[in-house]
Amino acid sequence: MIGSILYYALYPLSRYMTSRRLHAGASKKAFPPSMDNDKALCDGGAVTTRTLSQINKLDQWLSQGSGTKGEMEERMKEPSPEQEYDTLQLMVVLHETTKKEADSKMSEGESAVKAEEAETRNGQLQDTVETPEQGDGEITDHHEVFNTKQNTEDGSISPTEDLNQGLAPGSQLACLLTEDSTQESPSPESVTRAEPRVQETTGSVQVQRLEKPMPPAETPAEVTECWDEYLASVAEGGESSSELIFSSLLSNTQPQLKVSGQHETQAGWHFPAGRGLAEELQCPLWQFPAASYYPPIDSTVGFEVTWRVWEKVDESATAAEPLPFTNASMDFTVMSYNILADDLLQANQELYTHCPLEVLDWSYRCSLLLEEIQKWEPDILCLQEVQENHYHQQLYPALSQMGYTCVYKRRTGTKRDGCATCYRSSCFSEVSVATLEFFRPETELLDRHNVGIIVLLRPVVMNGSVVKAKGPPLCVANTHLLFNPRRGDVKLAQLAIMLAEIGSVIKSCNAKGEHCNLILCGDFNSIPSMPLYQLITTGELYFQGLPAWMISGQEDLSHRAYGHRLCVPLWPSSLGITDRCQHTTAYKEESKSRSQKSGKGQYSHDFMRQLRFCPTACIRPLDLQLIPGVTDITPDASSVNQPDKSFSHTISHRLDLESVYQHVLPGSGNPEVTTLHSEGGSTVDYIFYSRRRSATWDPSAGAFAIRGLKLIGSLSLLSEDVLWSMKGLPNDIFPSDHLSLLARFQLDLNAV
Amino acid sequence: MNNKFDALKDDDSGDHDQDQGSPKDSEKEKTEDEDKDQNSSKRKMVVPGAGEHPLQYNYTFWYSRRTPGRPASTQSYEQNIKPIGGFASVEQFWRFYSHMIRPGDMTGHSDFHLFKEGIKPMWEDDANKMGGKWIIRLRKGLASRCWENLILAMLGEQFMVGEEICGAVVSVRFQEDIISIWNKTASDQATTARIRDTLRRVLNLPPNTIMEYKTHTDSIKAWVDFHGLVNPSGGR
Repeated sequence: MIGSILYYALYPLSRYMTSRRLHAGASKKAFPPSMDNDKALCDGGAVTTRTLSQINKLDQWLSQGSGTKGEMEERMKEPSPEQEYDTLQLMVVLHETTKKEADSKMSEGESAVKAEEAETRNGQLQDTVETPEQGDGEITDHHEVFNTKQNTEDGSISPTEDLNQGLAPGSQLACLLTEDSTQESPSPESVTRAEPRVQETTGSVQVQRLEKPMPPAETPAEVTECWDEYLASVAEGGESSSELIFSSLLSNTQPQLKVSGQHETQAGWHFPAGRGLAEELQCPLWQFPAASYYPPIDSTVGFEVTWRVWEKVDESATAAEPLPFTNASMDFTVMSYNILADDLLQANQELYTHCPLEVLDWSYRCSLLLEEIQKWEPDILCLQEVQENHYHQQLYPALSQMGYTCVYKRRTGTKRDGCATCYRSSCFSEVSVATLEFFRPETELLDRHNVGIIVLLRPVVMNGSVVKAKGPPLCVANTHLLFNPRRGDVKLAQLAIMLAEIGSVIKSCNAKGEHCNLILCGDFNSIPSMPLYQLITTGELYFQGLPAWMISGQEDLSHRAYGHRLCVPLWPSSLGITDRCQHTTAYKEESKSRSQKSGKGQYSHDFMRQLRFCPTACIRPLDLQLIPGVTDITPDASSVNQPDKSFSHTISHRLDLESVYQHVLPGSGNPEVTTLHSEGGSTVDYIFYSRRRSATWDPSAGAFAIRGLKLIGSLSLLSEDVLWSMKGLPNDIFPSDHLSLLARFQLDLNAV
Repeated sequence: MNNKFDALKDDDSGDHDQDQGSPKDSEKEKTEDEDKDQNSSKRKMVVPGAGEHPLQYNYTFWYSRRTPGRPASTQSYEQNIKPIGGFASVEQFWRFYSHMIRPGDMTGHSDFHLFKEGIKPMWEDDANKMGGKWIIRLRKGLASRCWENLILAMLGEQFMVGEEICGAVVSVRFQEDIISIWNKTASDQATTARIRDTLRRVLNLPPNTIMEYKTHTDSIKAWVDFHGLVNPSGGR
């Protein structure tokens, strides 16, 4: 019995892997990182060898199971009385618990659907049905949903159900900790972790699921705080149905989620479903075909569950000490989103061959995008790839209506897209805006048309009816660096311009005695842990001799003959930016003001070096004893341009930045991806922030000074597997080839 | 050079030896007195020029080189070390520095010392005798850049340890170069830690660079042990 269960659970996996493998042989296309296993097989790479044995095992299971398959299917089609009973029970419970919220007009069918959905989110008391109308037709649809769902449930292989039958709900908890707990189960506990559930019919995949130990079950309150839409699917054909759960989705459920009263406030966060649920059910489905890497749309298969889970930051892990006092604070959310300009989509259609044409349509994507923004209500919104005409015709009017003030900067050159930074006028007021063009005609290196926006905001606090700007300034920097994977040198120079400009903004705040918090986000076209990322997060990069492609690490080009390596200086001094990513003039001023202010003879290296060949220094001192070979050197002013004198092998910056995302999915350890197209997925978008360090007593202010932002939570990303299971990006739910990044911060309003 | 010991001795080897700036022979009191006179007279003379950027302290450059072919033990440390000139401003510093060879281009067994005016680059100096130094051994090729970064940090008061800094030394040796920075109070751990951290920051050192702190009393003791002398400097 268990063997056959395993067979059915793993069958699609084996099919998936086999088809991928076959395809890998047939196609030379690069595989996304999450396909490592397959890669190892087809490339003979060194990634892992485990897969082979896995597949062998699966093959064994396959042949083993084939004898019992028919039998199994029959059994599966039999309605299971216990299960019906369970479901009924659940419905009753849900009816009770959801009584208050339940729409009075809600029909039986609707509540049934509701019950279905509620399972997955622990009976959350929300109106979860996202259908646009509530007509009779709708009800019928839901009946259908429920019925078909019921069928698949009947047919599902769910050891949990078997095990749980007759058990009290509480005792089912233990079962949930087993590998099978991911199986669909009507027990309320199964959803307390906001467990994502995927119903698949054929050719679907679940990798790693079985090895994953489940995080301990959480209390219901935690999960209810946020969830995404659950879309059920139906097997319409004669295909055998099996239910699979995506482990990577499961991994999104955070063991460290804490129970908190605040959860209720976020309970309404609900990912937009796009079209109505009923419609979704009819949406075309796909398989992994053996012949083509990018499967054609196959309308006989369907499934969809997309979960992006709101993850709270575990305070016990991050807060070094509880603050010994209470300060006024303000929470705000920041979204960074590369929305995929339509021009670029059209120009690179080969990247989106996996997408049905309708999801590539701009007006469709635009409506999804606006829905998504409306859903999450970010207080600050940093968009990239915003096409100028779309900004003016659609986005700006819509965003204004939502209460945003927007700053737009189109790229230089011929491309029509650009960046937009929007903020909720009710939360922030604008102190200053700087738009940056990285194209510098006088600098050969900087010949690319990328831009950035820096806005300096001040929190707005409503005091009764009086709007009052209050609290420390917040610098929000938004950029989209060059894509070209081979030109890491250009990316670094672009980043340096950004950092230098941010430095100036922050310095201007410091000059007024204010500490400035910083958020730097956007599409950096660089993957985690590679040099560019390192520079941002560690503040330093020894670049001398690094191959240019390695800076971003988007592609491993080590095998190619791109011999270009970075050397000193990275950019000419005419750019006016030092190797510390500061404006040269700012340096002078800083040094000057510091030496004048302190009067203690403090000078920076750069300041002192500027005087190296001043007229005084070029005259030989009269009292300098002439020692041949030691003191007989003649100063050579031309050497001032020698790279090693003015520009070190290291570039650095002084902004203390940390990434909101950790780039691996908790639990599974799978890499998060922020972008995915037909050539693979990776993390290239980031939200960096100046993190709150411990509070220090500031005697001059007579108060504790808190500097930096406290990260409260973020919207989980997804793994590549999961995104492919949703037919890649863009799709019916996510309108871009990037995912939105969303983080919530706490800003201390009393900070000095 | 008949046996290893002699060879070593001749090469002036041993830890103390590599930490140049150690007083091998300071028996010549006369020289010391002369230096003092020189320094005191210079002190009055060395002032920042108009419009120049004054340094917090005045400094003196010193140069030393072991005469080749003579056993180290017979050479007076003080004989070998020569003040090159003093300065009081950033501009004046560059005047000297720009007319001097870069340490990385030096050959032989040579040292540059840069000490605050009035402090001799010797363990026995009043300012140094309770002190110690941070030592960083560098592979060949790094000395010029590190030395410049080190002294700019010192002159620019970036160590932020009050009056604790005495001076800095760069020693060119056969297979490696050594830079060190001396401070007044070896027992002041907060200060030595701060100096170390600043060094790491300003020198752009590779992360695995080893930094060693050594008190001058230990240096003297090691020197005495090695040379088997009760009183290394003879006259003192």
